Amino acid sequence: MSATATPMRRARPLTMALLLGLAASLLVAGITALPGGSTLAQQIVSGLMLGGIYVTVAVAFTLTIGVLNFLNFTIPTLFMLTGMVAWGLARWGLPFGMSGGLHWAPALLGGVAVAILASLIVERFTFRYLKTRHGDATEHAIPLVSSLGFLLIFEHLVLIVLGSEAQSFPVRFRLDWQIGPLVLGLPQLASLLLSLGIVFWLSWLLAKTRTGRALRSIAESPDTATLLGVEVTRIVPIVFLLSGLLCGVAGALFVVNYSDVSPFMGDHVGTKAIAAMVLGGLGSIWGAIAGGLLVGLLETLGIHFFGGDAAQVVVWTTLLAAIILRPQGLFGASRIGKGKL
Amino acid sequence: MSGYWAGILAILAINIIFAYGIFVTAAAGQLNLGGAGFMAIGAYAAAVLGEQLGWSPALTIPAAVTITGLIGIAIAFPVLRTRGVYMVLATFAFAQVVTGVILTQPVLGGAMGMVVPDYVDLPVLIGAAIATVVLVFFLMATRLGLAMRALHDDELVSTLMGVPARAVQVASFALGAGLAGLAGGLYAHHFSFVEAQYFSALLSIYVLLFVLIGGTQTAWGPLVGATFFTLVPELLRIGGSWRYVVFGVIIVAMMMFRPEGIVTRTLLARLFGRRRRVADAG
Amino acid sequence: MPDDALLRLEGVSKSFGGLKVVDDVGFALPRGGRLGLIGPNGAGKTTVFNLISGVYPLDAGSITLDGQAIGALPPRARVLAGLARSFQNIRLMPHLSAVENVMLGQHARAAGLGALLTPIGWMPRGRWRRDAEALLAEAGLDIDPGEVVSALPYGIRKKIEVVRALASQPKVLLLDEPAAGLNPAETAELARFLREVAARGTALLVVEHDMGFVNEVCESVVVLNFGRRIFAGSMAGARGDALVREAYLGAEEIAADAA
Repeated sequence: MSATATPMRRARPLTMALLLGLAASLLVAGITALPGGSTLAQQIVSGLMLGGIYVTVAVAFTLTIGVLNFLNFTIPTLFMLTGMVAWGLARWGLPFGMSGGLHWAPALLGGVAVAILASLIVERFTFRYLKTRHGDATEHAIPLVSSLGFLLIFEHLVLIVLGSEAQSFPVRFRLDWQIGPLVLGLPQLASLLLSLGIVFWLSWLLAKTRTGRALRSIAESPDTATLLGVEVTRIVPIVFLLSGLLCGVAGALFVVNYSDVSPFMGDHVGTKAIAAMVLGGLGSIWGAIAGGLLVGLLETLGIHFFGGDAAQVVVWTTLLAAIILRPQGLFGASRIGKGKL
Repeated sequence: MSGYWAGILAILAINIIFAYGIFVTAAAGQLNLGGAGFMAIGAYAAAVLGEQLGWSPALTIPAAVTITGLIGIAIAFPVLRTRGVYMVLATFAFAQVVTGVILTQPVLGGAMGMVVPDYVDLPVLIGAAIATVVLVFFLMATRLGLAMRALHDDELVSTLMGVPARAVQVASFALGAGLAGLAGGLYAHHFSFVEAQYFSALLSIYVLLFVLIGGTQTAWGPLVGATFFTLVPELLRIGGSWRYVVFGVIIVAMMMFRPEGIVTRTLLARLFGRRRRVADAG
Repeated sequence: MPDDALLRLEGVSKSFGGLKVVDDVGFALPRGGRLGLIGPNGAGKTTVFNLISGVYPLDAGSITLDGQAIGALPPRARVLAGLARSFQNIRLMPHLSAVENVMLGQHARAAGLGALLTPIGWMPRGRWRRDAEALLAEAGLDIDPGEVVSALPYGIRKKIEVVRALASQPKVLLLDEPAAGLNPAETAELARFLREVAARGTALLVVEHDMGFVNEVCESVVVLNFGRRIFAGSMAGARGDALVREAYLGAEEIAADAA
């Protein structure tokens, strides 16, 4: 994990982030001041808000890859589970008729809880059984394949229980803050700040706590970590718990801001979050932040200038080019192992 | 033969060809999570050539295979510089680019899809599937197939044995792409309609799963995988979403207990092998 | 003056991140020669092998094989020029059978598209397969050649690796600790086999810790310590050399003092 590796990150992250935020705001203000600039500025702002959602899910992906070397395809499904379960709870209440339709706040909490539970189930039935004997290409794919299996299970169970229609979550905050010609959705701004806050908290966790150090040592070398007394089997579930929490928070914020839930909401966000993770560098939390915001911007500006479908092509082509030309992304280190002869 | 079973066999034949396309690259150690992208190229190539140039399937399908194979070669060079999870992501991204581009082209029907002239009947599909099976079994029995399997196990040492790693990997990737393109071309002419939404990320995932569950050690794997996952849900009369839930559970269970897949070399040895001693050799 | 050394190293050096692992090493392996490369652990012996086979590029120096400079060639070209090796930790292809591993070793000899597309897997009486099985028999391996190697015991796998290296009919065979982990009977059998191989014209360069084995198989030795060559000559000479004694026994004396 490269949470504290280079000189850039030795500067206090919070200060750096505040400075960057300030610079970004000034830039946006400057663009707004230009003639005709306010539309562009509005798009930039929307792009960053969308990016906030991608950041949180991208961090879940990058944390799992950084510590466990595992591309967890179940992550977007956890995001979807939060939204759909929250909607289901709000609509019908707890299962087996234990209550009526829930208020939106406990419904959301229920959704997050289910996401975390699902994540821990995935850990129980994928990682515990992993026994790489030969270390060849298809063996490394085993957890990835399991996660694909869980993706199918969760997505289709939701389709069966909750139907395939897109739905509307019963609460949507509409509080807009007008600054000059720009309109800032306050809930969106709040969720961007909340996402970033959670990610900074995670970064602090990794850098300063015992658990965090244990996670980083596992990322460096699982064998050395075990030798140093890290209880790998107790720490690994924490990664899954954090992934579940991050996806749950992202899902809850998405639902509150955009109100649309569907069994397919995970697919769209998941693929963008993967793109964000790669652009930022696998295993790098800061990379996931930068990548998430960048993907949000690219997508929003792309839609604005080229239309919806073309924008998707732009994002995916950028990703493909990035993987080929600079696989380590913005902040990652190239990790191509050489076997010992 | 009833229409229902004819439909199942058609899908089975196409799935088998598609699965062998992914198998050929997986057996050489590369995971292609963008199979649907190549199938889409094959399908749309056949559709466009038939529609715009009036070619018959006897021409469009070989052309589709060639075009997909050439694109496979072109993509292989940059993609094969990546490894492991990066290759998975690169192939995934490629497939997304392909469907994305198709959706934006009105000449390809955009999101409405495209009608494909000239119907290709079930016997053609079955013939193509049989030919594919024979081709891949032959390939795996050659020195080229041996080199591919060696690369899967240990790329560095294979190079130190004189195997031209890059050339073999590009060849297997391109062949895989060509087979996926064949599956696409046949699909287009048999179902007479193509739309980009069909060639989704989920399709790429399914076919990779057939192959990994079937087993990548021998050429029997994809045959078993594709057949099992196409026929069993029909036989058990599981429909709709439950089919995929069961599929998912099987995958998770397999990865826990038998990650090398259903068909392994040791299984074949136990079923068919006779023990020989070196001293028996002429 | 014609160079009758088959394999010649001169001034070969390699550093990894500031640590000089191989320091100005040079020696010559004559045609049909049997040379032991010995020294305490960490002396750089396997690194020398990796430099010869092209896994690492040279920092300095030259390597010549049969008059041809190979120091700048990629690993594959060196194999085609007549080099073959085995590995310290067994690196057989676990999912391939014994005979398939050996046939993989034949790859360097099987030139051309025709050879590449011959279905050797369908030809149990074919030339390539019979060659491979014959080699296995010569090495004293009485096993089912179709058995997947991951199921075979350690000693047998070690020998299969040597056979695989021989399958390319190399000019020079590099063997990295071929006797490690073998019992005395297996070790003697391997020594006998290697002497036969050398008698038929393949030159051997052997890294080993088992001095009895080195004595049996090799005519002379090169001793490395901390990446430098400290002695080249006969085994008897090595035993008498002060630097060599210090390199090996110095460590033992410290251990004896501490006990």
